[in-house]
Amino acid sequence: MTPRDAWDDEVREAYQRPLAGETEARERAIARLRGEDARRAARSAEWWLDPNALTMRPLVAAACMLVALAIGAFGGARWMASRRPVTAPPAPIAVEGGDRTTVTFVFRAPGATRVCVAGDFNGWDPDATPLTRVATGDTWTARVPLENGLHTYAFVIDGREWTPDPSAPLAPVAAFGRRNSVLVVGEDHVL
Amino acid sequence: MRPRLIWVLALLLLVPSRARGEESEDARLRARLKPETAGAVIEIVHAAGAQGLPTAPLVARALEGASRQASDSAIVEVVRRHAGGLAAARRALGPSARPAELDAAAGALMAGVPEDSLASLKKARPAGSLVIPLIVLSDFVARGVPVTSASNTVLAATRAGAPDPALLRMRERIHERILRGEAPTGASKEGLRELLMKTGPTEERGRRGPHEKGR
Repeated sequence: MTPRDAWDDEVREAYQRPLAGETEARERAIARLRGEDARRAARSAEWWLDPNALTMRPLVAAACMLVALAIGAFGGARWMASRRPVTAPPAPIAVEGGDRTTVTFVFRAPGATRVCVAGDFNGWDPDATPLTRVATGDTWTARVPLENGLHTYAFVIDGREWTPDPSAPLAPVAAFGRRNSVLVVGEDHVL
Repeated sequence: MRPRLIWVLALLLLVPSRARGEESEDARLRARLKPETAGAVIEIVHAAGAQGLPTAPLVARALEGASRQASDSAIVEVVRRHAGGLAAARRALGPSARPAELDAAAGALMAGVPEDSLASLKKARPAGSLVIPLIVLSDFVARGVPVTSASNTVLAATRAGAPDPALLRMRERIHERILRGEAPTGASKEGLRELLMKTGPTEERGRRGPHEKGR
């Protein structure tokens, strides 16, 4: 063993040797922290019951109350809407003119970035007839002149999801996996 | 040069419109389908046209399959089934049935509605269009109403002389009931009951044309 090794061992031993009173000091610190937590909890409970805990200018208090009322009214309206009886959305609207009828397609697609209508009237091209987003956000519309007769169609959301029109009758057979919707124009009315 | 051009234009005008329509349909199919698939579909389409059946619904099915990226065999099979449905629809509705009626009836038949139900519907409304009753019938089947209940509901409503708008309202009411969770069979019965209470099974109304104004 070289003198340097002996010196290293000595330093390591000194480093690992417990200090006098260290254990007691640690226990005291833990006890103090526990007491601090209990005092903080007590202060927090007192704050909720203290009439002078919160002070506010009358104008700020009124604004807060108005905001709370608005939030309550909005939540209440949404809750009432959710309890309203379920009704099917309105069918496509049409304006007849000769042997063609202009049909307005309306579709709600929350979160969609692009909605198109594909059907036998545009060769089932999923990009040919895009709908325009209405200012309110979720609703999309398109006015399409159609020849009088029976048409089948579906909406294409974001170029990948094909979905039938919830307002229109369904086609009887899901030929390629998902059903289409059916539209009749020029029979005194539009279906 | 100019007389020749006039002759060419005259010949083009003389070409039967049907033949030009077929060429246009063939071109659309060839543009969207693989050559062998297009060939098989065109063969079915031409055979249907030769029987006097509407070909536009068959072309539409094929183009739909191409857009939905269906397999070639699925496209040919769907077109073949639809052509069979159109032929059966004409058997049930007779030679005077219009293309839209045949297309709607073909769909109903493919959904499992028997041919004799379509024939009964034709008897119940011999002069008027059957497109709306057939669409309503198919919609009921698609929404889970058993075929027999759906057929009976639409047949009873048509026999009672319910005009098309009344049938459409009945469809909406039944749809709403099903959306609310009612069983499809019960919903269709209630829908029919409501319609009959409003319409009334009067013979006079039953004899009136379905598109007569003032309803």
